[in-house]
Amino acid sequence: MELLILPLVFSLVSLVIPKNARKLVALLGALTSIVFAVVHWANFQPDSFMELYANDGNLFKMSFRIGYDGLSLAMVLLTNIVTFLILLGNYENPTASNRLFNSMVFLMQFALLGSFLSFDLILFYIFWEMALIPVFLLAYWFGEKDRKKVLITFFLYTFIGSLAMLFSIFYIGSLSSSYDHEVLVSIEMDVKTAWIVAFGFLVAFGVKMPLFPFHTWQAPTYTKSPMAGTMLLSALMLKMALYGVLRWLLPLTPEAYHCYKYLVIILGAIGVVYGAIIAIKQDDLKKVFAYASLSHVGLIAAGLMIVSIDAFSGVVIQMVNHALVAVGLFLVADVIERRLGRRNISELGGIAVRAPKFAFWFTVIGFASISIPFSSGFIGEFLLIKEILLDNIWLGILVGTNLVFGCVYVFRAYQLSMNGKKSSFEFNDLTLSEIITFAVLALIIVVLGVYPQLLFDLVKPSLDTIVSIIKDSSI
Amino acid sequence: MIALITLFITGIITLFVAFLRKPVLVGIVASIGLVGAFVGLACEYISGITLFSEYGGLDFNSTAILFSSVSIIFTLLLVWSGFKPLTENKEHAGDHIALLLFSLCGALIMTAFTDFFMFFIGLEILSIPVYALAGMKKADSLGSEASLKYFLTGAFSTGVLLFGIAWIYGATGSFSMFEIQNAILNNPPSSLLYVGILLVLASFLFKIGAVPYHFWSPDVYSGSPMTIMGYMSTVIKIAGFAALLRLFTETFAPVIEMWQPIIIVVSILSMFVGNLSAIKQTRMRRLLAFSSIAHVGYTLLAVISFDTQASGLYYYNIYYYLFAYALATIIIVTIGNAINDDEDLIENWTGVGRKNPFIGFFVIVAFLSLAGVPPLMGFFGKYLVFTQAIGEYPIVVGLALLNSGIAIYYYLSVIIKALKKPAVETSEKLNISVLQWVVMAFCVIVLLIGGFVLPLA
Repeated sequence: MELLILPLVFSLVSLVIPKNARKLVALLGALTSIVFAVVHWANFQPDSFMELYANDGNLFKMSFRIGYDGLSLAMVLLTNIVTFLILLGNYENPTASNRLFNSMVFLMQFALLGSFLSFDLILFYIFWEMALIPVFLLAYWFGEKDRKKVLITFFLYTFIGSLAMLFSIFYIGSLSSSYDHEVLVSIEMDVKTAWIVAFGFLVAFGVKMPLFPFHTWQAPTYTKSPMAGTMLLSALMLKMALYGVLRWLLPLTPEAYHCYKYLVIILGAIGVVYGAIIAIKQDDLKKVFAYASLSHVGLIAAGLMIVSIDAFSGVVIQMVNHALVAVGLFLVADVIERRLGRRNISELGGIAVRAPKFAFWFTVIGFASISIPFSSGFIGEFLLIKEILLDNIWLGILVGTNLVFGCVYVFRAYQLSMNGKKSSFEFNDLTLSEIITFAVLALIIVVLGVYPQLLFDLVKPSLDTIVSIIKDSSI
Repeated sequence: MIALITLFITGIITLFVAFLRKPVLVGIVASIGLVGAFVGLACEYISGITLFSEYGGLDFNSTAILFSSVSIIFTLLLVWSGFKPLTENKEHAGDHIALLLFSLCGALIMTAFTDFFMFFIGLEILSIPVYALAGMKKADSLGSEASLKYFLTGAFSTGVLLFGIAWIYGATGSFSMFEIQNAILNNPPSSLLYVGILLVLASFLFKIGAVPYHFWSPDVYSGSPMTIMGYMSTVIKIAGFAALLRLFTETFAPVIEMWQPIIIVVSILSMFVGNLSAIKQTRMRRLLAFSSIAHVGYTLLAVISFDTQASGLYYYNIYYYLFAYALATIIIVTIGNAINDDEDLIENWTGVGRKNPFIGFFVIVAFLSLAGVPPLMGFFGKYLVFTQAIGEYPIVVGLALLNSGIAIYYYLSVIIKALKKPAVETSEKLNISVLQWVVMAFCVIVLLIGGFVLPLA
């Protein structure tokens, strides 16, 4: 239980500690939650379910079941590590000693952990919605100018998407005696009911991921948010949606699986190509990475719909990889912006000479994002593209273009900003905290790229269960 | 019964205490009376003994006690929250609070009546003091307009109600709820009865401010003082719904197929009209008026689907929804009282969250709860009402959720205004008394944890 409560405690604590200690306490707090998560990991049997809390008081038909299996634990580890890295990467910014900033980051972590640990649908919805408030306030308080309209659009978009899910939740709840995960999974529905339920979930998850037609909030919001907000949005919040598909959508509505399978794959494939092409033409570094994120997530979403253990393993490792790469790329954009006050590719150039360390780490993260071998992205994209190819060769080729386009936009961004004639501006090289952030990111990416079994062993039993649920009922 | 008598006597004592020209004393007497009434209610419920139990006109069963107790709590909170505006005019300090107490007596009768006679008396006792209170600020022309408008429309709806009661008496030969129900069950319902029910329903929709009888509410809400507006949208609504439940889900339950479609249409219309009109409002009380119309629409969902629930549960759902709604409204009323702005523009809320971070937090909680964002109580209220209705009316619930999406827009813009830096930096602080802090803290804490600790009654 301390796994979940700790961020909430730190969120309150960071409101009251004195100004000069805030940065350090925040880092320590994030580190503590990593330690707790690792301890849980060490004591965990991969094929078991660890229940942290449950209360069958029959209050609102909720079971309040909080716990984790391998998949949830992997997401918890990811959340805690990424939160720590976000705080570390942000260490040099003035916002790092703002109490509201730290408080909101921890509140966000709490909401995310809650949604990963909930095995009760209403509880999941509560945490899912709760995650919206801190990230909105972060962007509202610390974002760039002209943000108000963009943020209202973002809030409305995701809130209305979530209301569609709420409808599905109420609908499935009226068929069930409880909102507990096990009870809901065991419900038998006809195809039409399952389709109605699945539709609401798809809208909510599609908005949050975002899938192709629902993506219009993404790039403006990423651009206007402060760096930490963007990282939280792209690295963690969208994982909630992907995780939601694995944990709730697929097991709850396997009866309608064949109805939405190709819908999602095609939308994902469109997102892959569409996002990549737009990313190539962008001038704003943050926008390049925002559309790159759309492109990568399209691939993951398409992979989610191929029900096989390989595809799901690819999804999980790609989720982890995408989170780490997103943090790295947005940190790159922030490093440039913090020093120069701008991040337009056309006004940059020649930074590599001034700041060789930065150039090195940018290269590393760039390579990770185009998934070269020995990076975790390679394993993930390989598995995903292989599985989609086996399902449908044309769709496989379409999503495979991701690799090619990825090279184009990442290298274009790198080349135009880092290489070229010697720049006319000063550029201080990376500070220690930034180097550590990049190094930790690179380390995890390489370790998972060389030895992905570390992650697969943890999540395989839970993925097996999900695969078997769908296989059993759709035949 | 003890509660009713206590409140009535307290009201009279308050009037006499007011001769001393000491508002604080009036406040203390009123608070003691309200707490006493609450304790009396609780004692009667726990011991099971009622005073004057042989008198059949009022029946304080568990539902009535549920609704009465929250009415008393909210009146107490409102008296504390609006203590300064209520007692601003030292000549009339006692009158205002006494009128509130008398009106509350009417609310209690509305929750517990067993015949049309008591119902009518309760409705009038509830309404007449509020007609006067709406025009509390005599110099304010808008206030006088509100008072007159409320009185005229209210009197008209009373007339309609009496007319309806007459028709029902003609059809069934009785004023008593129990006998009317028997008459409906034993004889085939006549068109006489249908007309009566329709007229009674119309006057009800008038009182709770549902579309198409909602036109008075924005004007009256925006003209009345903030505290009285809070009273109208909390206690009067709670009493109105309590009476609506007693009449329609018990007495008129056998002819459900006649009034159910009407309420469905009214519910959908109320949601849409309320939310769409609220988007463009520039005045806080008008915005609250339209949002309260929308909330009435949501609550009516629980009335139409009452027959799908296991016995008595729908009472709890409506009670819970209104409880959450009223708590959030009281926070807003209290902050509105603190801003103390006669023009009542939403613009003037700009930066209240900057002046005091706690107020900013309260504004966020109150409006998000109204919008139904978890984990606040407003979400659980919506949860209860919508899950109750979704089995039979999935499309209506879908429309209601769509409306929650519309509503988040204007709630969010108020939140953003409150958190924004004001254009002109003013050093003047918000003037908030200790009592108002207590009221807001109580409401916020209940809104935050109410979803998890309030046991199912």
